[in-house]
Amino acid sequence: MLRVLRWSVLVAGAGVWAGVLVGAQAMDTIYTYVRLSPTQYQHVIHDIFGRDIVVPANAVEPGVRDRGLLALGGRKLALSGAELERYNLVAWQIAAQVVDPARRATLIGCTPAAADAPDEACAAGFLGRVGPLLLRRPLTDDELRRYVDTARAATEALDDFYAGLEAALGRMLVAADFLFRTESSTPDPAAPERLRLDAYSRAARLSFLLWDSSPDAELLAAAGSRALMTEAGLREQVDRLLASPRLERGVRAFFSDMYEFDKFETLLIDSETFPEFIPSVEADAREQTLRTIADHLLNRNGDYRDLLVTRDTFLTPALAALYAVPLARSQELGGAVPWTPYRFPDGTPYMGVLSHVSFLSLHGHPGASSPTLRGKALREKFLCQTIPPPPADVDFSAIEDSSTHRTVRERLDAHRTNRACASCHRMMDPIGLAFEGFDAASRHRTTENGAPIDTSGELNGQTFTTASELAVILRNEPAVTSCVVDRAFSYGTQRMPTKEERGWLTALATDLRGSGVTWRALMRRLALEPDFHTIPAADVRAER
Amino acid sequence: MVHTATYANADACPVGGPVTPEQVQLRALMRKGLSEEEAKASLEDRDPDEDLAVDGNSPDRPEAAPRPRRRRPETGNFPTRAEDTEIELAGGRYGYGFNLNGIVERGSFEDPESGERGVDNGMWRVLGCFEGYHIRKPVRPYSENISFDTSLDAMPAWLMWVSGEDLSRDGPVTVTFDRALNVAMRNGLQGLLGGASYTIDPNPRSHSEFKGYIRDQILTVEPGDFAMAGDSQWFPVLRLLQARVRFRIAPDGSFDGLIGGYQPFKDFFHFLAIRGEGLSQTNLPGVYYAMKRLAEAAPDPVTGENTAISAAYRMQGIPAFLMSKTGEVVAEAVGRGPAVNSTAMPEYETDTPGAQRPAEGSARE
Repeated sequence: MLRVLRWSVLVAGAGVWAGVLVGAQAMDTIYTYVRLSPTQYQHVIHDIFGRDIVVPANAVEPGVRDRGLLALGGRKLALSGAELERYNLVAWQIAAQVVDPARRATLIGCTPAAADAPDEACAAGFLGRVGPLLLRRPLTDDELRRYVDTARAATEALDDFYAGLEAALGRMLVAADFLFRTESSTPDPAAPERLRLDAYSRAARLSFLLWDSSPDAELLAAAGSRALMTEAGLREQVDRLLASPRLERGVRAFFSDMYEFDKFETLLIDSETFPEFIPSVEADAREQTLRTIADHLLNRNGDYRDLLVTRDTFLTPALAALYAVPLARSQELGGAVPWTPYRFPDGTPYMGVLSHVSFLSLHGHPGASSPTLRGKALREKFLCQTIPPPPADVDFSAIEDSSTHRTVRERLDAHRTNRACASCHRMMDPIGLAFEGFDAASRHRTTENGAPIDTSGELNGQTFTTASELAVILRNEPAVTSCVVDRAFSYGTQRMPTKEERGWLTALATDLRGSGVTWRALMRRLALEPDFHTIPAADVRAER
Repeated sequence: MVHTATYANADACPVGGPVTPEQVQLRALMRKGLSEEEAKASLEDRDPDEDLAVDGNSPDRPEAAPRPRRRRPETGNFPTRAEDTEIELAGGRYGYGFNLNGIVERGSFEDPESGERGVDNGMWRVLGCFEGYHIRKPVRPYSENISFDTSLDAMPAWLMWVSGEDLSRDGPVTVTFDRALNVAMRNGLQGLLGGASYTIDPNPRSHSEFKGYIRDQILTVEPGDFAMAGDSQWFPVLRLLQARVRFRIAPDGSFDGLIGGYQPFKDFFHFLAIRGEGLSQTNLPGVYYAMKRLAEAAPDPVTGENTAISAAYRMQGIPAFLMSKTGEVVAEAVGRGPAVNSTAMPEYETDTPGAQRPAEGSARE
């Protein structure tokens, strides 16, 4: 019987999802939809039900990257049948944990009159409380009635009140309004070419940008009272969100997306060639950079640009061995791997996030470094430049021949004699070669195949001899600030800025260069900007 | 990596050749009360698969055989309850180690690497004619290798550091051995991770210092006492009296060589006894009596009997950072060590000239 109920939910859900990526309900209200990311899904569940609820790692597909961000791809996704099934399965797993006897007292909030019979008041109390948090808006009376009816029907069928709640909650967790951020907007009377988000959609956009999670009860209340639609009310909530420890989750989610850390899922470094690159390094490397960023931007209120030159970071014993630096190990005979604050000494080659494993090894080959991929990543992720894909008939023979040319610089020089390749490689290789002092596993080196490595180059007329010198040049490159401002806007709105919006984004970048590119300042400026809470009407027409 | 320094050669065991594990088991069964015929029959008739299913033991272990008529005390715990079978002792020209007493005695070994003559290595004499030890570099004693690899993830690492005015040149140095507070870290090939950091255990029980000298990348020390706590499933302790070392320091920062001296023979016998005859592949009472006979140092103050036997161990190390418990760097890692340094079971296949492999089908666990 329970199985039948579950399938009925899935089929109903599929019916709802079909063709609702863009829809219109009332005459002037436009609905657009953005799919929750894997971390957003997890954070929402943990925020509402507690961190001990296990959310399977593969609950949500990471999606597709569009113009540099997964966030942009989130607006374009449709669901496959397999994904629907997984959503359904995960929903029931979560619901079962929530109504588990060990958690009932704290999560359900009431005790039914009889454990084997419906108790609509208790069910309505629970579902009416978690429903707005999950769907990010109040439930209508009809909606709540339907969920309570689901609970009652399941209870009667299974003679178990909590199984009934589980069924209703499971249904809520596969609702389109939970799995997708439904953005409700109306034309702006002052500027019909753009659509203004309503208060609840505004709340969701804010909380997912800043917290990587859904609005809490206070933010929903501000939306409900429409205080969020006023300048003062918006400022009050933005400042509150920026002061929360949850801000770190937002920072981590943004930079994971901007730096393409989803690539760690497929990172492969040859352990035969690089035995120091032990399996734990992959997870540690990602965490090292995210921890460094969060500490720098939030704890130290540091300038984003200084991430390129900071020697402060955090290491595990495995990372320290890879970087060949000493690190006091506090754990004795096993135990949790500790993270230790560490400062690379002056004069050592490791400086800034570009010298982290998360950059050097993520952009390379399993057995060899790749100046081309590193240069490409640097231009795309830190300067927001676009490098075209290579031609289909590219000849790699020169680049793969280490017998004639011992260093990759020599091989790339030979490769660039191909005019079809030269135009793009001229953009990527010179700056990528600056990192040749680090092999594919990110270990420092001075020779390749016995030949000394030359890491010198030039960027925008400025010469450098080492990766550290390049990092200093980049730190002062205006495009670095423009890039992070642009990306943050696109990440938060999950759309590209319009031509008009680019104007104030440019002005914002200029302001921040002068006052310091601090995370809170950037987020505050974005979140208080009216354009941030809009959708271009042209975008909606295009999606339709 | 530390293991008994073995140097099997064609002339090492002229009397009977290496003792196979099957021969060890046969004697073990006979000691437990079976006649030779019964013991042979029980070994030949057993169905290994059936034995595994019933007993959960390796079919190579005597315990899996039919129960003998009467039980006697375990030979590991009570070796003197069995008769001395006077095992064959290894001989020949070559044997690893050091001339500990300064005398080139008749029958003493010549070290095949250093050419040092008058090498004292009673331990090799005792063990060399058991098949598990009838091997030589790069093959490692199977039982020791397995137990080391098993203990590695639970046992604090052993540390050595060298200090001197200019380590890039020949000259005097100080060599210090310590135990770590941390277990060894493995690399991606399950060997030891080069460049890892370890905190020195301040407990003096595993601390020893030597005056040493580096010449042509060979590190030697003046004799002194060495002690290091190990692990219950491996060497519980390695104590060497009048110890000396001869390590070759490689450009990548690793070292490979010998440490030797007079070892309390019961320390080593403890390792064998823990492994039992089935796993150590030795005749425990025979080894015990032989060690006792060949002991040549550290007389017992009451009985006057020598308690220590000359021995040599191969020791290999990779670069590491050593730190004090308060976080100061005590010694820097120099280099990254070899790219491949697996401590896992080495293959018996080897291209090294002269390396011998045990007979097919033997020395398996």
